[in-house]
Amino acid sequence: MAQEQIDSKEISRRDLLQGGLRNLCLLGVGGAAGLLIGRSRAQATVWQIDPYTCISCGNCASYCVMEESAVKCVHAFAMCGYCDLCTGFLEPEPDAINKGAENELCPTGAIKREFVEDPYYQYTIDEKLCNGCGKCVKGCNAFGNGSLFLQVRHDRCLNCNQCSIAAACPSQSFRRVPADQPYIIKEAYHAG
Amino acid sequence: MKPLTGKSGTNILIGIILALAIAAAVIALVTTDRTAKKGSRLGPEFGYDLTEQKKIDPALILYREAAPVIKTALQKPTALAVGPHDRIYVAGDREICVFDSQAKPLPKIKLTSEPRCLAVAHDGTIYLGIQDHIEVYNDQGKKLAAWESLGDKAVLTAVAVGKNDVFVTDAGNRVVVRYDKSGRLLSFIGKKDPDRNIPGFNVPSPYFDLAIAPDGLLRVVNPGNLMIEAYTFDGDREFWWGKPSTNSIDGFSGCCNPVNFALLPNDEGFVTAEKGLTRIKIYDPAGKFVGVVAGPETFAEHDRILSGKGQGNLEGGLDVAVDSQNRVLVLDPLTDEIRIFTRKTKNL
Ligand code: SF4
Ligand code: SF4
Ligand code: SF4
Repeated sequence: MAQEQIDSKEISRRDLLQGGLRNLCLLGVGGAAGLLIGRSRAQATVWQIDPYTCISCGNCASYCVMEESAVKCVHAFAMCGYCDLCTGFLEPEPDAINKGAENELCPTGAIKREFVEDPYYQYTIDEKLCNGCGKCVKGCNAFGNGSLFLQVRHDRCLNCNQCSIAAACPSQSFRRVPADQPYIIKEAYHAG
Repeated sequence: MKPLTGKSGTNILIGIILALAIAAAVIALVTTDRTAKKGSRLGPEFGYDLTEQKKIDPALILYREAAPVIKTALQKPTALAVGPHDRIYVAGDREICVFDSQAKPLPKIKLTSEPRCLAVAHDGTIYLGIQDHIEVYNDQGKKLAAWESLGDKAVLTAVAVGKNDVFVTDAGNRVVVRYDKSGRLLSFIGKKDPDRNIPGFNVPSPYFDLAIAPDGLLRVVNPGNLMIEAYTFDGDREFWWGKPSTNSIDGFSGCCNPVNFALLPNDEGFVTAEKGLTRIKIYDPAGKFVGVVAGPETFAEHDRILSGKGQGNLEGGLDVAVDSQNRVLVLDPLTDEIRIFTRKTKNL
């Protein structure tokens, strides 16, 4: 299945890295607007997660009516610190920094680590492996910039009348958003 | 039987619709797992829990909170400094709040831009980091100068004032900038240079602090390497200390720490502030862990506010300063509080 490029490979990570903290501190996510990829849908609205209120409880992985949850982890690269010791990727106390499964936080091995330039690494999500459990989101929020977050992926979601995850969401983070702006991409300076 | 017609029929229909709506609402209420108590049904490998790491052995806590908190009433406090006569300076919004050592408010200094960091010289001159440049104010709050911008990428995060020099960390360009006191840019310190054994600064988030130590060397946090490095004013990297550890209290936790630090008087060492595991610790001058000022339990409200923002740790990092009485002052930008800690005596 062709995936929507929400974790856009079209944006050069190196560019974002070089724009760096200035983007992050001052301008918010300049590139984020480009990530709001619309898909025409018959319905006027679709389900989406508010990433600012989601508490990564784990229910997104297990309450979706689909066998494989329609919720996946996505990455706002413009907010990422490209950390060597990424707390969304590594266990809180890794034995050594490497890609070894023994140190990875993600139970399904869905996060890929790639060297960009010394000492920075980029992290991408292999959506086929991600079950939307939110463990990496917790790790990233706990210490880092909060650039990993969960979104309903509309190439998978059935747009049920009553989303069964929404009914099980303890933070009421599911809401209906316009179908032509189906993603809520995190920004560095979010008002509210 | 008479067919339902007219007003009575409509009323019954509305009644049925209302009853169905109420039933649906009740079902929705009952089935919604508002507390997540039912759980996600995921296995333990999907859990993420820092409860153990947040615990601190009480024997390691060497300080106690010794004075009422000071509220600044700033919307967005950003930086804390202690100046002459132990005056307390807090920058934020578009002003600098000043308090005497007993927390009595003194006249505020109005600014034209939002400050990010500040340092106060012995004579009371204030060096203020705005986004991309330094502004200088005298002790009466009169603006004396605005130095040249360091460019579009600049994000100034800390200032230190020496006898003849002013040093500034620029998190955007990942360098320390050395100026003379007239604002003339003298050099950049800490750019990656393998020939000089300089690894470069690894700055993943907008926290990048520095100070001038009594030994005449700069101390600069290399946050992504979880270290504090010592540099000469000419930019030679002399030594460094610090290790990453989230499980062990003597290390710096997470991806990038400490967020800020201050020097204890009489060359007694360092006070460090961390994010993630929100805590203040003491290290000796060589970087050996000594003890804890306050741990995550003390900053529970800070952590609660932070998690509610869903922004990770992008903002709200604690700032620290120390006064001549060895009191440790902690600015919590999220609760808008300055909290003051003193070392416990043996009897306490
Ligand atoms: S930790 Fe969970 S949410 Fe994150 S990438 Fe892995 S499976 Fe997806
Ligand atoms: S609307 Fe249906 S398919 Fe989409 S996330 Fe909710 S339960 Fe899953
Ligand atoms: S159920 Fe709600 S709180 Fe839990 S992970 Fe999904 S969106 Fe977040």
